Amino acid sequence: MYIIGENIHIISQKVKDALKARDAEYFKKSAIRQVEAGAQALDLNLGPRKRDWEEVFPWMVKTVESVVDVPLSLDSTNILGIEAGLKAVTKAQPIINSTSAEAERLEKVPLLAKKYNARLIALTMGKSGIPVGADERVNIALEKLIPRALEIDFPISDLIIDPLVLTVSGCQEYCPELIEAVRTIQFAWDPPPPISVGLSNVSNAVPRHNRPLINRVYCAMLMGAGLQMMIADPFDEKQNEVIRVIEERDEGTAVGRLYLKIHDRIAAMEQPVYEDVDPTDPEQVAIWKTVQILLNKVIYADSYLQQEAVM
Amino acid sequence: MPVQIPKDKWPGQVRVATIGATEADGGTRTSVITVGGEKALPFMHFEAEMPYRPVIALEIKDRKPDDWSPLLLETWGEAMDAPGAWAKAAEAAGADMLQLSLSLTGVDGEPNTPDKAVTAVQSVLNSSGLPLAVFGPGQKEADNELLVPVAEATKGERIALGICEDKNYRTIVATAMANDHLVTARAPMDVNLSKQLNILITDMGLPLERIIMDPTTGALGYGIEYGYSVMERLRLAALQGDTMTQLPMIVTPGFEAWKAKESKVGTGVPAAWGDWLERAINWETLTAVALLESGADILVLRHPESVRRVRMAIEELMEAEELRLATGN
Repeated sequence: MYIIGENIHIISQKVKDALKARDAEYFKKSAIRQVEAGAQALDLNLGPRKRDWEEVFPWMVKTVESVVDVPLSLDSTNILGIEAGLKAVTKAQPIINSTSAEAERLEKVPLLAKKYNARLIALTMGKSGIPVGADERVNIALEKLIPRALEIDFPISDLIIDPLVLTVSGCQEYCPELIEAVRTIQFAWDPPPPISVGLSNVSNAVPRHNRPLINRVYCAMLMGAGLQMMIADPFDEKQNEVIRVIEERDEGTAVGRLYLKIHDRIAAMEQPVYEDVDPTDPEQVAIWKTVQILLNKVIYADSYLQQEAVM
Repeated sequence: MPVQIPKDKWPGQVRVATIGATEADGGTRTSVITVGGEKALPFMHFEAEMPYRPVIALEIKDRKPDDWSPLLLETWGEAMDAPGAWAKAAEAAGADMLQLSLSLTGVDGEPNTPDKAVTAVQSVLNSSGLPLAVFGPGQKEADNELLVPVAEATKGERIALGICEDKNYRTIVATAMANDHLVTARAPMDVNLSKQLNILITDMGLPLERIIMDPTTGALGYGIEYGYSVMERLRLAALQGDTMTQLPMIVTPGFEAWKAKESKVGTGVPAAWGDWLERAINWETLTAVALLESGADILVLRHPESVRRVRMAIEELMEAEELRLATGN
């Protein structure tokens, strides 16, 4: 699993404060720690920075590049800011996060990616928002994103399709569809275009203590559908452990075997079944309940783990 | 050519709830209502039994309301001046059940008091043998202050106390538990929040059989489609086996429909809108029948004529069930 570290994100108050103070040490430390924890690239979400983009984006790129060598993902709606950041990149091939299929962005952002030899995350989202159905999202990739890349001779291997993870708390019906979108987009081109998602979106608006479980169960399911890249928290040790178990097919623990089972069932286009679960193990039961809400089989509620398992 | 009608078979079932207790069960009601038990989507009698028919409640208040349509004031007339008289009139109008809404203030503008609330509820219980739901004024402090003494004074009557919401349910649930009542649990047209509230209430120890869900709805033309979808989704989840959604649903089409301009206003509207009273009753009836089709178990109405018409709709929708029972199919 290729993890793009998500921790430099303006939504975090600490990041906000550090950015305001131009606290280079904070960002260096964050970058080093994320890479040490396994991040293979770093997302830099600074917001639009409408007033100071000219200074902030290059500053951040230089700061982070002074301590790590990994690709940097410039995550902003501000194209000028992204370009300013791209100009400052001296190390690995950067990533632009992101374009959508909306006409104006799709016109400009891929050209920028081509000009600076950046990879480009492209969202399967048009002007009218994010479609629920997997097919419709795949169609946006097939009919808008890939054709635009071909049109400007941009390599499909650098076009990273993001079929968009939405939260189980409020957009539950999107969760199983995303799994299918990840599965199907791999057939959109030969060789398959890279696919990435923002994993932790799935637990937005979920009470904090429940988020990691939802994230890592969804991660296992998405890996079953073929996901190999995601923007995620590299410090989430239990999530890293699930990824390791699946990648190494480590059947050493009962919980590990359950995650493998979930992964394999999704890979085989089946649904996990209650028989896979040891009902005497509370951790396995919690994983099962989480699978059920992520497949939209049981309605999500903040206290869903307190409800008895639905088989 | 014979047509094969596809049948769904659902693993789940809605729980059965009974509101009201007769003397034999420790109350004073002469009738009770039992709802729920569905094993299929509404009125799909060919798929599975629908053991209890939806019931109609009439909403009454502890005093003459300030904000009700003049059409309703005219209909209920002097009965509105005393909750007991109103209860009697509502029973005569054909309701299966009464839903008493406590007011925030008295006619004099003074805040309502626990004593006055208890007196109003007792006068309703003394005047009618129908099972009862009692809703507070809808403000946290007032609801708790009024509903607790009401629950205590009516211990064992199996009243449905409302309205529990996520911001305020603990006191109401505790008093319902202590005094053998039920609660209604309302969430703002949101399946996740509906379910969450049910979990929170059962966590306190109140059995699911004593919770009636209120998914909230809008009137015809005022968001009914959202309410419809939420109810449909909750019911589908219940039939799929999701225990925390397997509760009967109460809805308040009377309250909603009589807020709509079409019912509320008689002047300054296009002539093409037709007769005001007929329109208002249509609004309430059509709102109620749509909700019936989306799985409502208890409909709270305001106008006697709407009760009559919705009753007719229920009779017709249940005919196939009678037939099924009679023929054993």
